[in-house]
Amino acid sequence: MLKFIQFTITRAFLSLFTLLAVSLIVFSLMELVPANCAERYLAFKNTQGQNITIEDIAAEERRLGLDKPFPIRWATWVANVFFDGDFGDSCILRLNINELLSDKFWISLGICLAALIFSYILAIPIGIYSATTSNAVTNNFIRFISYLGLALPNFLLALIIMLFSTVFFQESLTGLFSNEFRDAVWSFDKFKDFLSRAWLPIFVLGWSATAFAMQTVRALMLDEIGKLYVTAASARGISGRKLLWRYPAKHSLGPVINSLGFDLNRIFNDLPVVALILTLTEAGALLIDALARSNDQQLAGAIIFLLTASIVLVNFVTDIMLALMDPRVRQGLVG
Amino acid sequence: MGIFSKTKPAETSQDLKESYFTASQGQLIRSRFKSNRTAMVAGWALSTMILIGLFAPFLSPYEPTMGGRDKSYENGPPQFPKFWDENGFSARPFLYTTERKRSIKTNFRWVLTENREKRRYLEFWVDDWEYSFIDINIDLPGTTFDFELKALTFKKHLFGMDKGGIHLFGTEKSGKDIFSRTLHAIYTSLAVGTLGVLLSFVLALVIGGVAGYYGGWIDSILQMITDAIRTVPPIPLFMALAAFMPDEWSAETRFFFIATILGLIGWPTLARRIRTHLLSERSQEYVLAAELSGASASHVIRKHLLPSFTSYIIVDLMITFPYVVRSETALSFIGLGLTDPVNSLGSLMQNVSKADVLLNYQWYFIPVIFFIAFVLAFVFVGDGLRDASDPYSHVKK
Repeated sequence: MLKFIQFTITRAFLSLFTLLAVSLIVFSLMELVPANCAERYLAFKNTQGQNITIEDIAAEERRLGLDKPFPIRWATWVANVFFDGDFGDSCILRLNINELLSDKFWISLGICLAALIFSYILAIPIGIYSATTSNAVTNNFIRFISYLGLALPNFLLALIIMLFSTVFFQESLTGLFSNEFRDAVWSFDKFKDFLSRAWLPIFVLGWSATAFAMQTVRALMLDEIGKLYVTAASARGISGRKLLWRYPAKHSLGPVINSLGFDLNRIFNDLPVVALILTLTEAGALLIDALARSNDQQLAGAIIFLLTASIVLVNFVTDIMLALMDPRVRQGLVG
Repeated sequence: MGIFSKTKPAETSQDLKESYFTASQGQLIRSRFKSNRTAMVAGWALSTMILIGLFAPFLSPYEPTMGGRDKSYENGPPQFPKFWDENGFSARPFLYTTERKRSIKTNFRWVLTENREKRRYLEFWVDDWEYSFIDINIDLPGTTFDFELKALTFKKHLFGMDKGGIHLFGTEKSGKDIFSRTLHAIYTSLAVGTLGVLLSFVLALVIGGVAGYYGGWIDSILQMITDAIRTVPPIPLFMALAAFMPDEWSAETRFFFIATILGLIGWPTLARRIRTHLLSERSQEYVLAAELSGASASHVIRKHLLPSFTSYIIVDLMITFPYVVRSETALSFIGLGLTDPVNSLGSLMQNVSKADVLLNYQWYFIPVIFFIAFVLAFVFVGDGLRDASDPYSHVKK
């Protein structure tokens, strides 16, 4: 038990280190943008008819702490994020980023996690089935689907679905809320409305991940089924579904759990582009807006950091889960 | 006779065995690849597409840029040359003349009508716009790296019309020929992919090589950094980097910048594989045997370690390629990547999610088919190569 706690703590520190490294990457990216916050604030004032001098900019820089060297600014940013969960203000929108994001980020995360769950609910049974069946047609079909998962990026899939639904049903399936609920507070009706529209982004985002997970599950199952302990178990008279679930499926689950973090990564990857196509109003769309239109590096940095942080968190949780579930890993830790 | 017929197959199988055991690794890989039908078909498809991409200017009747637009055929549907109609047969394929009208009756929208009496004929090997196979124009900020080179300039094109235009895949809203743009987009995808993959390959080789060769704390630190980069979703990261491109950069400069970004971020997965492979190969017995026989480190690396994973690397590069192309497409699609006059699938697809396009101009989607075929071909060839280069793939089955 002590060893396990030790493992958890080490793993937590490693995650924290990854987060720090990520924050450094993100912060450096934010710094790369020409013109800093002070210049932007004052450029705004300039448009309001005030005269701006170099001294004003310097004073503003001092006020915002922009005259300090890079490591100190990074440390302040990280400290604010880690201890207060505060990402500061967006220079372009002149709003607090937390207020701007809050709901939208949770919606995005919810959609992405739903997509992840959806993809595994599909992939695990299909993968196991295709590993056990000797039907060549099914196997080739599944292989083809998983290749298509790479060849047909999620956003193209979204476009094609939109094309078909507009041509055949005159409905373009965009947006996350209908007009009446867009600005309403969360209620059961709003949630129902949300679900009736969110299935498409969930399906589209889960698409590549599903295709890949299917292939992974199949390969792992094939590996395990060929092993001697399965033969031994079937010699003892265990057969059918019971044999599958009890031994090989359980064993191949480990690597599958391990790949959850990377699948979430894959889903986040497509989030902004899919958001643009389906005109979703959540963090992905905000990210595109921040990057492509307004060059709002504070907002973009915050979103990228939050997305990555959730991946790190998922990786941490899956590692712990794996250690709890798989005696081999546990043994490796203790022994 | 009976004895003879029995010994003969034994002899051939002996020959077969001998040729099998004396074959070089390359020969084995080639023969295994050839026996994989899907991979062979994909291989042919891929070679065809690469050729199409390389000879895109020759094959496309119009310039893919604003210069090649057809003002009298905007948002025009695809045109298929015909050999016969109710007015009789023609040995030369023909199209009808289209006329464009706009009046109060059509709600002031341009409406195309075709005049079936007026035929226009297809011609082969025609002179049209000028193109160069080698056309490099780098215009970075500052003047030190500026560079311009034009060579192999031609004017011949595979086909064209005697008068008016031919648009096999239709045209988009400014009258640019979608067929020509698609061919050029294939070339762009190939070029971006090659550049990006090569760059990430060099980085991966150096970083993975250092980590795998030295091991120890250098390895641990490099692994931590690699893992941190791997956790960040790449496309948002690409977007963030691409957003810093100044608007005044030329299309060619943007192209090189995008390829560089894709390469700079694509290395971690590859580096990890190289490192893992090096780590496990380094402690293999054949390496030990070579070292014990007095082989120098460079000899071990050149003659034993590198050959042990060149095939893996080639396969990995093939598999990385579609990812790079995909990322570029996503970037260009949202307007952060390549822009006119450089054509890429992403920029071709930019406006298609508008309701107007979805309802009325579905031919905008034709390039998607090519993109899917292109990536699928790459994946199948990569997969076939992986199976072929794995000496145990046939033993297992």
